Amino acid sequence: MAKNSKGIETAEIIADKCIACQICIAECPVGAIELSPEGTARVLPEVCIGCGECAEVCPVEAVAFDKAGRKKFKKAEKPGPRIPVPGRVVAVYIEHNGQKAADVSWELLGKGRELADKLQARLAALVPGSEINGLYSRVQNIGCDEFHVLEHKSLYRYVSSLYGHALSAMVRRVEPEILLLGATSQGRDLAGVVATHLKTGLTADCTGLDIEEDSGLMLMTRPTFGGNIMATIFCENHRPQMATVRPKVFPMPVFSERECKVIRHDWSPPDDARIPELIDFIEDTTRAGVDITQYPVLIVAGKGACSPDSFPMLEELAGLLGGTVACSRPVVEAGIMPYERQVGQTGKTVAPRLYIGVGVSGAVQHRVAIQGAERILAVNTDPNAPIFQVADAGIVGDYTQVLPELISRIKERKKSRHD
Amino acid sequence: MTESCEVAIVGAGPAGISAACILADQGVETVVLERGEFPGSKNISGGVLYGHDLAGIIPDFARQDCPIERNIVESRVWYASDEGGFSLAYRDAIFKEERRLNVFTVGRARFDRWFARQAEKKGALVVCGTLATDLLRNKAGRLGGVRTDRELGDLKARVILLADGINSPLAAKTGFRPDPAPEHVALAVKEIIELPEEIISERFNVSDEDGVSIEILGSVTRGMNGVGALYTNKKSLSLVIGGNLRDFAELKLKPYELIEEFKAHPMVASLIKDGVPREYMAHWLPEGGYEHVPRLFGDGYLIAGDSGMLFNALHREGSNMAMVSGKLAAETILQALKKDDFSEESLSIYQEKLKESFVLKDLKKYRRFPGFLRKHREIFTDLPLSLSMAARDMLTVDGVDKKTKQSRSWKMIKSKTPLLRLARLLFNAWRSVK
Amino acid sequence: MHIVCCLKQVPDTADVKIDSQTNTLIREGVESIMNPYDLVAVETAVRLKEKHECLISAVCMGPAQAESILRQALSLGVDKGILLSDRAFAGADTLATSYTLAQAVSMLDRQHQVDLIICGKQAIDGDTAQTGPGLATRLGFALLTYITGLESFKPSQRKIIVRRKVEEGQEVLEVNLPALITVELDLARPRRASLPGLMKSLRRKIEVWDKNAIEADAEQLGIKGSPTWVRRIGVPSPRAGGPTFNAAEGLQDAVDRSLDILFQDFFTADEPGVAEGEEHGKKFQGN
Repeated sequence: MAKNSKGIETAEIIADKCIACQICIAECPVGAIELSPEGTARVLPEVCIGCGECAEVCPVEAVAFDKAGRKKFKKAEKPGPRIPVPGRVVAVYIEHNGQKAADVSWELLGKGRELADKLQARLAALVPGSEINGLYSRVQNIGCDEFHVLEHKSLYRYVSSLYGHALSAMVRRVEPEILLLGATSQGRDLAGVVATHLKTGLTADCTGLDIEEDSGLMLMTRPTFGGNIMATIFCENHRPQMATVRPKVFPMPVFSERECKVIRHDWSPPDDARIPELIDFIEDTTRAGVDITQYPVLIVAGKGACSPDSFPMLEELAGLLGGTVACSRPVVEAGIMPYERQVGQTGKTVAPRLYIGVGVSGAVQHRVAIQGAERILAVNTDPNAPIFQVADAGIVGDYTQVLPELISRIKERKKSRHD
Repeated sequence: MTESCEVAIVGAGPAGISAACILADQGVETVVLERGEFPGSKNISGGVLYGHDLAGIIPDFARQDCPIERNIVESRVWYASDEGGFSLAYRDAIFKEERRLNVFTVGRARFDRWFARQAEKKGALVVCGTLATDLLRNKAGRLGGVRTDRELGDLKARVILLADGINSPLAAKTGFRPDPAPEHVALAVKEIIELPEEIISERFNVSDEDGVSIEILGSVTRGMNGVGALYTNKKSLSLVIGGNLRDFAELKLKPYELIEEFKAHPMVASLIKDGVPREYMAHWLPEGGYEHVPRLFGDGYLIAGDSGMLFNALHREGSNMAMVSGKLAAETILQALKKDDFSEESLSIYQEKLKESFVLKDLKKYRRFPGFLRKHREIFTDLPLSLSMAARDMLTVDGVDKKTKQSRSWKMIKSKTPLLRLARLLFNAWRSVK
Repeated sequence: MHIVCCLKQVPDTADVKIDSQTNTLIREGVESIMNPYDLVAVETAVRLKEKHECLISAVCMGPAQAESILRQALSLGVDKGILLSDRAFAGADTLATSYTLAQAVSMLDRQHQVDLIICGKQAIDGDTAQTGPGLATRLGFALLTYITGLESFKPSQRKIIVRRKVEEGQEVLEVNLPALITVELDLARPRRASLPGLMKSLRRKIEVWDKNAIEADAEQLGIKGSPTWVRRIGVPSPRAGGPTFNAAEGLQDAVDRSLDILFQDFFTADEPGVAEGEEHGKKFQGN
């Protein structure tokens, strides 16, 4: 470890590991760290006082620092860890259209139940809207202890500012430790507004949630850097700890009956709310029936099968298995399939019972989005394609030969089972 | 509204940026046009630079955060056969201290950016992502600017420096320089192999700042007139191998196969063991030599660097010739600006300056070398194999006396390469570099 | 009219790879670029300027080298670039970022009333899509996310009509200014700068504002003002793979053995039926 002219053992940034989160820059008490033109942090040795603060806070261990030579630096005491207090609340925002809740809200209730049990807390559903009778009539089947309803006629359709204001009001009354929302377009929009109203931390697009045992804090894991890295984030001193979670990340729960209290809240919209006027709605006809996340079997075409000629075969296989055809990013970029059918970090996260990748190489961005698949079959000419690392079974070969064989064998099997 | 400047430079490589530094330093309004998204994005070289030539442009480069990979303290030359080869190494402590940074390695992407930033600091405008598509001529037919592929893309200039490399679409279109013949072009492929810093230092027996360069001749180029090289960077090794473009075509060789074989050579394989390939790229090199250097100036324009075929095939010197020719072109332009005369005659002092410099002197000295290599293909085929067999025989302890072994070896060499031819080879070799 | 575009410099994530052996980012060759969604924001503003009299400002919070994306914005037709750069801004999460940007927009508003803020839908490095909603909430601007089209812009009435992507289709919404919109990639195809535009941008100085310039409360900035912290970082947990069969060594065998693995308990039940999710969804509809 290098010493500076004052004889202090200075910290050094390992550029290869640095992800330029700049936490060290902010934490350095003497301003000895800056961002280099290469986009990584670097320590100015003559300014460094060798306190090692940067090594402490670095999330990726990119600071080389010899702790033995550490100079003590006094730092304001941080509040100690929170001990779970029974009687607290874990809350889930229910996204709905008045009749039906989004699947992701279900998934979150399942996860919320698990987190609430760990914290010995109550699980609460937060449901703002207008006329939502259809929703809370079966509340004893949704795993909740409390069902909070805020009904107002102005909430007949989703408007960021009104829903943001309403949900913030509910959170202020319920005071949950944790608030979960689906990372749908509505959920992400709303979460940003509510977190800003409440001045609390929000972690978007989580793929994992857990409770840290000692502190009772929620650990939120999310992909970052285009899905190449998983970051675990926590929110220590602000409440609620907010997270949005993508659909299909958590499984659909099955609840037993549970006593659930319905609590109604009064609310009136703020006078200064800016409400956009809906002057038209254009229904998306191209989407009809192709929500790929809803199919139990997906036949996914990749770069290696990026040809319109492959379609009849893919369709036939999909039809045979009760699934549909999806694709990876290159196929969308080539204009062969619409974006709605894209699986991947920039497309949809899917969790089918069976995933068949045809000519999909399996870049990390794609792999993270199919982690929830129950079974994976990969067909690719390249034996080194990364998809084989995650596939339950793989066939190295040309799909134009493999697929017809696959189709005929499945037909035979089905036939023999029916006989 | 048409943009204008005093000097337009096409290409932000070592030649163009060297010229821009010198010109901007003297307050000349200089615009550099670069087709890559950033300087260096399209540039490839072995990655070896010479301190003396860089200091001629940025005297205090070492103190200006120049991104140096390793300071070369040892140069090795290998004459390789298929399973081994001869190695000659020279190391000198003087290159560690007193003559530090005599030769050093750089990563081109980082270095070229840094170099362009130095030009910008001096006041030059480096315009990236912009392809020069044509040259503008005034009514008298003299060059008066550059046309680019951007909207409102004409740039008027009093004089133009063409430094856009060997593979110049502008040259092809305007014909200011004849397209080089395949036998005067080498195709080089390069792979960057990542290894931990301490492993590199250990394998090459150097400290973390210092490094080694290895030039490799022999059968590694599969009989092509070419050469391989291995250079140490901070945390990677650069592997380069190349051969004459015509040979590639004749032998139907695929460049990536060539480098894969090169990597598998026992002397190379042990040095790159456990390394992770990071980047693969291919590039053309001008190696026509002195005889094929085109006319480097004309009414309103000058040519520098690879674009002017200024490349020393024997010493694999390209970047430094580019820098020096860029510098000399800039000095010529400064004189022309003073006289306000950009005629061919006024700019002809560029040729004089080049002749006085090592650039043309070296090219002239080695002018017969490309021809020599073309004539004596056995350098890349039979000769390394025969010599290796001889050495293998000589070094194998098997009870046979040395005299018998000597005559046996000698017979074998002669059977592959007749004595007369061998003598001619030695004579021609001496003559081509004398 | 005064339009503010909020920009972020991001690593070109398409290039970011991770070394699975050492668990570190491979940085070599990864470029910093303007977030592609923000480039659409700039394009949208420049197109408005071509039709209406507008002043366009661009703000970017980041280190000194983020200046390059502001310059890029200038080259495309933005009038003024402001870099928000201060050690105190470092380590900001979305809450602190939206605070910093809100302060900067308030400063711009004092110089020339701000009518419209255009942000990219999300940044490709973090993918959070939170800064836009946060900024609008702080400023009390109308918030319109996921905008795919600008139907009309009526400066005299201070109104804007936009097309917004939602799950089931597209909403056409009219809203009074001031508003903040976050834009999708398909809203507009970014142009290429003209040569004079590019050269002009290279000659311009970028204004740098620090925490004092935006009259910020230090407690709400950077890491101090960020409730969320990164605790640790890792690679996505690998899923254990199964065997791979080579079709060249027997196509039928490869297919059969694969199907055995895939369907060992999968097809013991009847046909793969409807997704379980739908059943639950139905249950939740109530009576």
